[in-house]
Amino acid sequence: MYYQLINFGNEEFHAYPNKSLYWKRLNTLIVSDLHIGKSISYAKNKQFLPPYDTKEILNKIFVSLDMIKPSNLIIVGDLLHDVFSTLSLKDQDHKNLSQYMKNTDFIWIKGNHDKNIQIEGFKNFTNYKIDKFLFTHIPIETSLFQICGHYHPKVKISHRGKTIFKTSFVHNEKIFILPSFGILTGGLDINSKEISDVLGKKNLNIYPIGQDKVYKLLLK
Amino acid sequence: MNINKSNPLLLHPLNKWMKKKKWSWFPHQIETFRHVCSGSDVVVFAPTGAGKTLTGFINPIDDLIKLKKFKGLHTLYISPLKSLANDIVRNLEKPIKELNLNISFQVRTGDTTPYKKQKQKQKPPNILITTPESLALLNSYENAKEFFHNLKYIIIDEIHTFLDNKRADLLSLNIERLQTFSPNLQRIGLSATLKNKQDAKKWLCRKKPKIVSFENSVLPKIKILESKERIPWSGHMATYSINEIYKEIMKSKLTIIFVNTRAQAEYMFKNLWLINNKKLKIAVHHGSLEKNLRLKVENNLSKGLVDCVVATSSLELGLDYGDVEKIIQVGAPKGINRLLQRVGRSNHNLNTPSKAILVPTNRFEFIEAKAAIEEIKKNNLDKIDLKEGSFDVVAQHIFATACEGQFNINNLYSEIIKAYPYKKLKLNDFKQLINLIQDGGYVLKNYDQFKRIFQLRENKNIYKLVNKREIRKYRMNVGTIIENPMLKIKLGTKTLGNIEEVFIQNLSQGDSFIFAGQVLEFQSMKNNLVQVKRSKSLISKIPSYSGGRMPLSTNLANSVRALLAKSNMWDLYPEQITEWLKRQKNISKIPKKDEYLVEQFPRKKNFYTVIYTFAGWHANQTLGFLLLRGFKEFNYKPLGFVANDYAIVLWSLKEVKEIKTILNLGLLDKHLDNYLEETSIVKRLFRDNAIISCLIERRLPGMEKTGKQVLFSSDLIFTVLKKNEPDHILLKSSYEDAKKNMIDYDRLREILNKIDKKIILKKLTSISPLAVPIILEINRENLSKKETDEYILEDLENEILKEANVLSIN
Repeated sequence: MYYQLINFGNEEFHAYPNKSLYWKRLNTLIVSDLHIGKSISYAKNKQFLPPYDTKEILNKIFVSLDMIKPSNLIIVGDLLHDVFSTLSLKDQDHKNLSQYMKNTDFIWIKGNHDKNIQIEGFKNFTNYKIDKFLFTHIPIETSLFQICGHYHPKVKISHRGKTIFKTSFVHNEKIFILPSFGILTGGLDINSKEISDVLGKKNLNIYPIGQDKVYKLLLK
Repeated sequence: MNINKSNPLLLHPLNKWMKKKKWSWFPHQIETFRHVCSGSDVVVFAPTGAGKTLTGFINPIDDLIKLKKFKGLHTLYISPLKSLANDIVRNLEKPIKELNLNISFQVRTGDTTPYKKQKQKQKPPNILITTPESLALLNSYENAKEFFHNLKYIIIDEIHTFLDNKRADLLSLNIERLQTFSPNLQRIGLSATLKNKQDAKKWLCRKKPKIVSFENSVLPKIKILESKERIPWSGHMATYSINEIYKEIMKSKLTIIFVNTRAQAEYMFKNLWLINNKKLKIAVHHGSLEKNLRLKVENNLSKGLVDCVVATSSLELGLDYGDVEKIIQVGAPKGINRLLQRVGRSNHNLNTPSKAILVPTNRFEFIEAKAAIEEIKKNNLDKIDLKEGSFDVVAQHIFATACEGQFNINNLYSEIIKAYPYKKLKLNDFKQLINLIQDGGYVLKNYDQFKRIFQLRENKNIYKLVNKREIRKYRMNVGTIIENPMLKIKLGTKTLGNIEEVFIQNLSQGDSFIFAGQVLEFQSMKNNLVQVKRSKSLISKIPSYSGGRMPLSTNLANSVRALLAKSNMWDLYPEQITEWLKRQKNISKIPKKDEYLVEQFPRKKNFYTVIYTFAGWHANQTLGFLLLRGFKEFNYKPLGFVANDYAIVLWSLKEVKEIKTILNLGLLDKHLDNYLEETSIVKRLFRDNAIISCLIERRLPGMEKTGKQVLFSSDLIFTVLKKNEPDHILLKSSYEDAKKNMIDYDRLREILNKIDKKIILKKLTSISPLAVPIILEINRENLSKKETDEYILEDLENEILKEANVLSIN
């Protein structure tokens, strides 16, 4: 799989088109906002989305783990959509997960969607610090470099009379936001107030995700 | 008119009123009355001005007076438009009030206040005037059975507008429900004149079916604008003739200019204002304008306070504007029925002809306009194809049924297949639709704990709604009309109307565009409101609306082909048209009525193939795509294609040698699936299907996105579903819709089925006169959305890299 090289906080990261981020020096894979079980939690309100999201998300994760074989997997929040989501994890899923946990350390940072939920065998944290980097779901006041999720960023590109939206990785000098790794999850415009309040409007590095390539744009 | 002494209507309660007005009964009114009295369901065909509305009410009023002080609902009147429903009430009011008849009547539409609706439920009027959507809602109420159990008549107005769309499906299901509630119910349909009257009868009538028909012998006077200007080769805006159109407006008291799209309406309106030195009162009317603006225009029109209104199909149906003297149709008529409907908006008097002027915007449209006039003289109308019922509408109906109360699926199934569009609905498909409403109908049944309807333990055939909260959700989602996502436009605090979200996304701050006849500058978008200010800019964009394309009817297309071939007529045309056709005849060929001309020639460095199918845009667009694939297979290196109503042009790097081998039925069978995969047609139809079947909830206008992210998009659902459960009923339904509506599958099949023997191949050294219009429509290659997205990203990245002086990445 092709990746895009990203320099953030003087470290090299690889951004993959499957919406995961890899920190090579520490052999660590980072994903965010999986929203496992979103379909089942909508079903309780009688909106019956196709119940295949959990299976697909787990497969995507397992494929990445098989390929990269990282020592650590950091999930920066919203692994689960809500408390009903655990219903969509079957016995076989739990078995597979614990198999992968033998070789990879799973670090689950709690997000706003899953802060009160536990899964057997999963270690969880409100945030997690490595060197000068803080992994957290929503950015906080700190002098550290932060890697987070929550916002599901997408970028609006108007070019040659056409406008498209693309899910993106995005960062400024201090804060890096990952796209959602989920299947039925939508996106939020990088220009929206919510994201501007965090990243500002200028000097953004934006990485729109194409078919099988991650692109690079600079917003000055 | 001679009235037979035995006319039963002379004893009718309304006869006194008719006499006072010095009106007499029409023969078709008498005939209808007799048929309905003897227990028949009837469809009445009559032109505007022939007392059609009254015809529907003759039996109900007679019966109500005979029954004396009938309590409860007696007659239901279904109108296609809310505005029309209000108009009917006004027309009914006059005789009933003047004669002091003891009959109550009310209107019930989406605009009726909840208080009034509540009162209507407690104390129903004798006559209720409503729309198909409001009827569906009424049928979903818990007391629907009592409410309707004495219903004697249902009148469907403008039934011809209901035959070929999903609204027809919804209406047909609800009529069958009423028949179950009230087995004695009789059906009366009112229609404009139609070619296939038998089909309308089959659709509506069950009991002793009868057709009553009244043909107007006075033909409309239609001519083509005699222009001194040069008719352009291509284009759709009629700029060349704007001064002559203005002169025509000045000549008449009141003119309606009909155009085919909202964009054309804005453009025409703007251009008329630029030359309006006589200060005529000109207004614009289309479906995206704010309701109050539209009502104001309609009001001014009926009071004769304007000189001219530029309108789209939004003014086609409905109210009588008696003072309209002239209709100007700008652009191709597209169909005989449509043109007649529009022309009929002028001069609602049966004995004087309606007057209309056609303004072709390009040379092909001139031939089309001429052909339409010929067909109208021969009274050769378009056939309206009845459609087979769609699955998503049944799903919505199942949900509605559950809201009314618990139901037996066998009874429901046998009721549904009585409705004409669903005669062929398979039990197995019906059961899948039950499952769809129950829990989404997925094979992987992991929603057991969250059902919307459930089977009773003691009787597996009986289903029941899980709780009453679901009723509210049904009501929010009722109906089959799905608009594209629209945003409200605000000028200061005033709302001007709705504009497509897609159009706004393409604007940047400071860009100007034309809407509601004004040049506006885009300022900002907040909370789904588009804030604008007035602009003096001369360069401005015109919003295009994706729903704007009207297909050329098969009937008119055939007539265009026949007319082209009649070279003895050419000398009657304007010189430039005659010249154009004669040159075509010398250089290439004019195809005969049943021939398909294919021209091939080199141009610049490419090789061009032009095929004249006259199949309409939808079918040609599909065929263009299929041929692109066919050419690829033969390694002709095709680069792109463009289609219009009449022809397709493809261009390739290499000479296309085997056109006859490629252009046949096999092409359709081989590549159609690929075509559907690669375009967004099915994806878009899936969204409609998911909303109509209540799988996902409708985003109502004004309802804001809650939370920080868009909840989910139907595109994502489509992708997941297609990958995991390709046989799901909603996917099947979306593909069926695509075949029926968007790609004109049947029409294409019919053409390709016999095409190989009828191809006339002309190898030319350069472009032919007939090919010029379509070649001018070429602007860029057609790429699928996937490819375009990728192309935009790459291109932008390269530009940025150049700027930043970076050589490459990765």
